[in-house]
Amino acid sequence: MAEGLSRRSFIKLAATASVAALPGCEPAARKLIPYVVPDDNVIPGVPAFYATVCAECSAGCGVVARVREGRVVKLEGNPVDPISQGALCARGQAALQGLYNPDRLGAPMLRRKDGTLEAVSWDKALGLLDERLQAAAKKGANRVAYFGSRQGPTLDKLARLWLSAWGSNRLIAYEALNDEAERAAAKACFGRTDLPVYRIDQAEALVSFGADFLETWGSPVEYARQYAAFRAPRPLHGGTVVGRSAYVGPRLSMTAAKCDQWVAARPGTEGLVALGVLNVLVNQGWLPHDSGVDLEALRGLVGMYTPAAIAGRCGVEAKAIVRLGELFGQAHSAVALAGTDDPTAHIGALILNTVTGNLGRTVVFTDAGPPPPPTTGRAEVEAQVAAMKAAEVDVVVVAGANPIYAMPASAGVAEALARVPLVVWMGQVPDETAAYAGLLLPIDHPLESWHDVMPRAGNYGLGQPVMQRVFPTMALGDLLIRSARAGGLGPKELPWQDASQAVAASWQELRARYQPSQSADDFWTSVRRHGGLFLQPGTAGVKLDPAVLKTAPNLPEPAELVLAAFAHPFFFDGRGADKPWLQEIPEPVTQVVWNSWAEIHPETARQLGLTGRASQLWLSAEVDVLEIASSQGRVELPVYIAQTVRPGVIAAPLGQGHSAYGRYARGRGANLFQLLPAGALSVAVKARPTGKKQRLVSPLGKSEMMGRALVEAISVEELARGVAPRPEAPEAPEPHEFYAPFKYPVHQWGMTIDVNACTGCSACVAACYAENNVPVVGEEGVERGRIMSWIRIERFFPAQEKAGHAPLLYLMPMLCQQCDHAPCEPVCPVFAAVHTEEGLNGQIYNRCVGTRYCENNCPYKVRRFNWFAPQWPAPLDLQLNPDVTVRGAGVMEKCTFCFQRIRHAEITAKLENRPVRDGEIVPACAQSCPSKAISFGDMNEPQSAMMRRRADHRLRNYAALAELNTRPAITYLRAVYHGKGKA
Amino acid sequence: MNRFFLGLAAVLLVSGLGVVAFSQRPWLPLENVEQPVPFSHRVHAGVNKIPCQYCHEYARRSRTSGVPPVQRCVGCHGSAVSGGLLPITRPWADHGHPSFEIRWNRVYTLPDFVKFTHRPHINAGLACQTCHGPVETMDRLVPVYEINMGFCLDCHNKRGATQDCEVCHH
Repeated sequence: MAEGLSRRSFIKLAATASVAALPGCEPAARKLIPYVVPDDNVIPGVPAFYATVCAECSAGCGVVARVREGRVVKLEGNPVDPISQGALCARGQAALQGLYNPDRLGAPMLRRKDGTLEAVSWDKALGLLDERLQAAAKKGANRVAYFGSRQGPTLDKLARLWLSAWGSNRLIAYEALNDEAERAAAKACFGRTDLPVYRIDQAEALVSFGADFLETWGSPVEYARQYAAFRAPRPLHGGTVVGRSAYVGPRLSMTAAKCDQWVAARPGTEGLVALGVLNVLVNQGWLPHDSGVDLEALRGLVGMYTPAAIAGRCGVEAKAIVRLGELFGQAHSAVALAGTDDPTAHIGALILNTVTGNLGRTVVFTDAGPPPPPTTGRAEVEAQVAAMKAAEVDVVVVAGANPIYAMPASAGVAEALARVPLVVWMGQVPDETAAYAGLLLPIDHPLESWHDVMPRAGNYGLGQPVMQRVFPTMALGDLLIRSARAGGLGPKELPWQDASQAVAASWQELRARYQPSQSADDFWTSVRRHGGLFLQPGTAGVKLDPAVLKTAPNLPEPAELVLAAFAHPFFFDGRGADKPWLQEIPEPVTQVVWNSWAEIHPETARQLGLTGRASQLWLSAEVDVLEIASSQGRVELPVYIAQTVRPGVIAAPLGQGHSAYGRYARGRGANLFQLLPAGALSVAVKARPTGKKQRLVSPLGKSEMMGRALVEAISVEELARGVAPRPEAPEAPEPHEFYAPFKYPVHQWGMTIDVNACTGCSACVAACYAENNVPVVGEEGVERGRIMSWIRIERFFPAQEKAGHAPLLYLMPMLCQQCDHAPCEPVCPVFAAVHTEEGLNGQIYNRCVGTRYCENNCPYKVRRFNWFAPQWPAPLDLQLNPDVTVRGAGVMEKCTFCFQRIRHAEITAKLENRPVRDGEIVPACAQSCPSKAISFGDMNEPQSAMMRRRADHRLRNYAALAELNTRPAITYLRAVYHGKGKA
Repeated sequence: MNRFFLGLAAVLLVSGLGVVAFSQRPWLPLENVEQPVPFSHRVHAGVNKIPCQYCHEYARRSRTSGVPPVQRCVGCHGSAVSGGLLPITRPWADHGHPSFEIRWNRVYTLPDFVKFTHRPHINAGLACQTCHGPVETMDRLVPVYEINMGFCLDCHNKRGATQDCEVCHH
């Protein structure tokens, strides 16, 4: 954002804008407040777009923020950014709800003696901070600590300088879910301090050792895109090739569900399986001799791990390991990923990639200069906590980390912070750690401040503020600079006035290094416009360190009952739990909302004395509550019984169980970090039923399709033979047209959705919430069947008899099908459900009287009724899209393919005296999709990309519930699976 | 019997209130709107023949036509440098707000469920007066037409413009 906008008189057309925030029938705002001095960059009613970066996880996706009247209303991926390439995941979309979160701290707070908080002025707060820092520094060196997280190069630099001003070097960059194991493996194998870049799309086979690369591991948006290309039928080797994939891990995660095979190994034995696969490869002689690896040494390393020898320990059949070996060894190119807390799995995966000659092809180390700095290692964090406990630290600044929540009680952070005289918490929504702070300072959201990220070497993302502050907060960088000044840093050590100057200076260093020929101004304009600097690094030549083949792996002993915690696809390590969209979007596999759960196998359930029946959450179910105890602590969790987890394992998502962190996070589910030893994701546990019951809520009912064809699939063999699968659905009757058919002289909008590419990641769902002002109804609302999402991910398990001849899980986006013969339209008594001239099933909110006949008649269940007036506690309402009506109570609402976007493009085209271009209209769901599963276009235009996609995959075309003769405008493309037999 | 009439009365009262509430139609143009500045459209648009879009500059580009920024007023009325604001005779009332902020009172407004956009209408060559009446003759702005759906559709009918409900209601 140009400095001009951010610093000049702020938008004053707030009154106009706030009209949109009011429900339809209330009087509109009656004031018009124009700018005093207008901003050249702002036209009221026309969005401005700013490139910035997403700070929700370390993938560092480039983002484009749509800003209306000075407030950001939507985030979308930055098409220039090589990582996101225009897509953005659900967590990234929901960053808006972090920005506008109603529970954000609105003023500096000082804790009184009695423990209550008192709002103080910024001057007083900062004065107190400096005073205490001065006192600490006077007592000696290293009396001050900075407990941060991964926060980007410039903020890192500022934190270091700030610490040096106070004579300390206690800098902690803490991430609960970090890449420590992965980095250790890369270091051991190749002596590299960076991580490799994966090119899944270049592979024909993939094995993931516990890496949920479509959800939380690494760079999910990027990998989802690559995986879609990997799974797309491609003509190769004179036939049709669809990448084969396998997932090794205890739980059928969304990622596992999108693979061909799920090898349900015991948690912690993924590395052992990798060694077993290596053993198969060595013994079968499937390894090329030119990989530069000493095969004899490798034989020495893995010789004892024959599939038969390890099968029992891993809890899988020896056959399965042999099959993995075949999958990997017989592919022309393959890639192995590892995502567990165990370095052995990572080393095993890296060796696998190396010995099969895939290093440099599907797994690439780049030569792009310095890698992003690592997070602070576990030992170092423990040492710092110990120092605090030993009263060696007087002031701790906690910024961006939540150690009280994310570290086990045994780590002793609570005692340590209690021993520190002044704990200063800096952040947005006060979390568990804030409860231990004496001084709480509200900090700008990343969307309000200058920052930068470096997700990988050669990829620099520039984060610029996209709007003015929502609350009277302060940029973390500004605060550190100001405080460091007070600590005596002069203009020589600290030449910048504020964080924006510091960021700009860092970026000028990048210019000097990479683009010295460009002028400073040009470069600065260019990186702000593009959202960063994206180099195209070459491949670095690396060699496997032979020593790694001589080091005997350290293998954990399997326990009888193990808790396998996994990062929740939306909450990640807990930071997403304060965002209502993320709470309300169902976890794709279990479809549970607003809660956490203990997922166990029916067999395990029986052993624990529970019913062995799979849980059926028809909206909600009373389920047993399990008490789970580890060496670290105990929690209670509702049980979800399903075959999506192997026996002997309790799988449970991280991220819930907050005791603070705002109204949306507090008091939901349990915090699994309390059970896990530091740095581990699985632990031996004991469990017993408590006899209590609890509700688990899910918007979805049946887990099977009951013989109806909602999601269809086709095997690779059928695809190669050119035969469509026998339809599962009942034969469609010969259609009798009662009414004259609709005519669409100009456009007929339609969609093609590739079910094969859809990963179930729900980015589309979050995008729809943001774009269309879809309200959140809360757990009770969902339980009553009142969830409002216009698009959802349908999840079905294949029927028993189809097992092996179907994908592991059917996942498909379901939204209004915009039927040509729409069942909803003729039943509306007031013509609120109308057929538009362009083939959409319109819904006229102001005409709707709420009979709900249309909802009853819709076979797809995509119409949503407002039982109450939706609530957006301020300032969440600032996020509302002014181009879309906010529906009131008693009104039916639904997807109309983002009609506001269609209309905008049509008007623009008309004014430019041209037809609407293909690809000019992109509905929010299609825009956000990381795997580009959704395309939108004109069905009247056979050459549109959307129609060509249908034509190119004729064999995979199907319509959902075609037998009803609704003639949807959405054509789905069947999922592709590898039939059993030839694995 | 008494209870029956009481009930009936209650029902009538409630529905009567509903009818009254609905007939208020709070988004219709307001008749008697006084502004914080005695601004005259007649002087500006009529006597001095300033084109509408000189001040309402966003009309051809945006949903909203825009209210001129204070800077636009000052552009003609002189500036602090040239000796203060010239013919603005009375200061505006709201002094509690940032300097020179004017809080105009709306005359025209639309409910949230009507997504009217100035851009295509202005670019189609419609005169502003088509909907807003002879503004150039008014000292104080008063609505001439009751801007409701019938008003919109009449014109759309005559000109063959779209009558798709969804185009305005989405």
